[in-house]
Amino acid sequence: MSTTESSSAGSDPTAPDPDAQKWIELQQSPDFVELRARLRKFVFPATGLFLAWYVLYVLLADYAHEFMATKVVGNINVGLILGLLQFVSTFALTTLYVRYANKRLDPAAEKIRTEVEGSAP
Amino acid sequence: MIENLWSLTGVLCVAGLTFLLGFVGSRRANTTPDFLVARRAIPTSRNAAAISGEYLSAASFLGVAGLVLKDGADALWFPIGFTAGYLALMLFVAAPLRRSGAYTLPDFAEARLGSTTLRHFCTFFVVCIGVLYLVPQLQSAGLTLTTITGLPGWIGGVVVIVVVVVNVLGGGMRAITLVQAFQYWGKLFAIAAPTFVLFAVFLSNPSNGSRPLTDEGAPRFTETARVVLQEPVVLDVHEPTRLEATGTVEGSPVDGPVYWAPGRTYRVGTGTELVFAPGTPVPVVDGSPSTNAEWLRAENDGLSGMFETYSLIFATFLGTMGLPHVLVRFYTNPDGRAARRTAMHVIYLLGLFYVFPLILGVLSREYLPRLLVHGRTDAAVLLLPGEMLPNVFGQILGAIVAAGAFAAFLSTSSGLVVSVAGVVSTDLLPGKVRDFRWATLFTGAVAIGLALLLPRSDASLTVAVSFALAASTFCPLLVLGIWWRKLTWVGAVWGLCVGGGLVLSALVVNVVSSFTGDWAPDVLLQPALITVPIAFATMIAVSRATARRLPEDVNTILLRLHAPDPLGFIQDRDVQRFGTAEERASQGRRRSR
Repeated sequence: MSTTESSSAGSDPTAPDPDAQKWIELQQSPDFVELRARLRKFVFPATGLFLAWYVLYVLLADYAHEFMATKVVGNINVGLILGLLQFVSTFALTTLYVRYANKRLDPAAEKIRTEVEGSAP
Repeated sequence: MIENLWSLTGVLCVAGLTFLLGFVGSRRANTTPDFLVARRAIPTSRNAAAISGEYLSAASFLGVAGLVLKDGADALWFPIGFTAGYLALMLFVAAPLRRSGAYTLPDFAEARLGSTTLRHFCTFFVVCIGVLYLVPQLQSAGLTLTTITGLPGWIGGVVVIVVVVVNVLGGGMRAITLVQAFQYWGKLFAIAAPTFVLFAVFLSNPSNGSRPLTDEGAPRFTETARVVLQEPVVLDVHEPTRLEATGTVEGSPVDGPVYWAPGRTYRVGTGTELVFAPGTPVPVVDGSPSTNAEWLRAENDGLSGMFETYSLIFATFLGTMGLPHVLVRFYTNPDGRAARRTAMHVIYLLGLFYVFPLILGVLSREYLPRLLVHGRTDAAVLLLPGEMLPNVFGQILGAIVAAGAFAAFLSTSSGLVVSVAGVVSTDLLPGKVRDFRWATLFTGAVAIGLALLLPRSDASLTVAVSFALAASTFCPLLVLGIWWRKLTWVGAVWGLCVGGGLVLSALVVNVVSSFTGDWAPDVLLQPALITVPIAFATMIAVSRATARRLPEDVNTILLRLHAPDPLGFIQDRDVQRFGTAEERASQGRRRSR
């Protein structure tokens, strides 16, 4: 909950207030740079990987009929299993991201916060 | 028939309940500030259920099962895409967008790039996406009512739009997160309960006199089937077929037994009645897999099929973040972190829901092959209970499904009408309550007009076009706006116009082609794979060319988007306007004393 802070920063953001200077300093601080780098390091590769995994499936389905039609159990073939895995992988990536955010992003954010509040007059 | 009576009662109950909730809700005065106050107290899981409740539309409730019945393995991509869209939303935009404090897409665009011109373009595309999304809801309502009562198709759509507009005008369904959350669980029950029962019926009597789906050939009728075509279709015949036809086939009148040769297509006119004896192979609407073997296998038609599939993935994966009714709900999260958690819950809830239409779709292939003949496979979920359980129990299940379907049309349509009307009234009109009402009427009128005018297609396919439009307009705007500091408003406007313009042109060409003999290439059905990269490229190129138009406060804005929540950089316009929840609560207490 951040209502108290948000009301303290509740003035017009474009006005040249003392806060703005503090924000710019904060933005250049190594901690914040590190935080953004961590976020980017996860988000972009994860998306790339995910879209590639989709392409892989579509390509296999189109050009590897034999492989996709290989029966595993009864009438269930490799294609169906991979298809269902698309679902599973969506869940997996979601969970991974939330975990990553809780473990790697939020503590960093918390650290920046204590520093800012510690240095506040 | 008594069967219809049960279903009709179910539908009327849902409509009545919606009215009642809207009435109660409006008496509790759901104004914008109340909405804002509520959001601080709403738990993530309930918020996620509300988002899912509003999101699960005709396309999910009826469309997915219908496409599974028709297209088989390829249709799996629809539920995957509809779900995975939230992954993209969570990774790229959920938290930063929440921190931006923007309430709608035009708000975000203006706050980020400071241009009212851009804002107006955004408004235009919000209206386009919203109306395009409304059309299949209304058309599916027509289909549902026709299926259960035989009334003409336009009545269902009119009923839904009237209920929604009257309700929105009365102020109901607006901010009631609890109602939308309830909607999710209601819909889940309405589709899960029949699935469990029908699957049990299937297990207890697996053969049902038919050949199993493991059979590689064409599906076969298990009993005498009489199909009356309400629109002209082209049928693909895979095995030698004998049937009785009354009407027009291939342009000439027929009346009596006919023989259809394998490997050919037959053009059958409106009003033609086809009667198939048990054991006859099922001719399918041209373009769908004609044998069970093809149905079970993903992809059969090489490069174009691959393009279509991947284009659909692209549209749904990137389009969800641009849907107006989804975005508004994310605003009810107290901070970026909660927005992230909400998106995760939504993905779980949607995944849980989609299991059931998939099963129902497979079951319909076994029990309702006649739908393949006229192609109206969206009705599968509605007809399956009555077909598998021809007794009172089946009728009750049918009523539950019909009620759930109507709940889906009503909730999604309400969400869309509210968000479109909200954007229109604040941007184009002075933004008073009366303007909101005019905007609501306007949105409803345009949507029902288009729904009656445009040819009916599968709900999932039509919805996918609005995903494509959202992916080609707002996805680049949001992703670049949040992650690229050099975006300018000129670049954004150009990107929106080029991306959105291409999708809309493709849509127009498709509609014209469907009236004049279906000559449009399949690529135009789902153009996202081409239009999304073009929109991104245009935005980047034009922004680079107009670099001097960079907003002056870009650093501050980007910092605010990416700064961790606990720093309290959230700048809520409405919190500024109306005060925070706590302030309002204390004011309210003072007033009541």
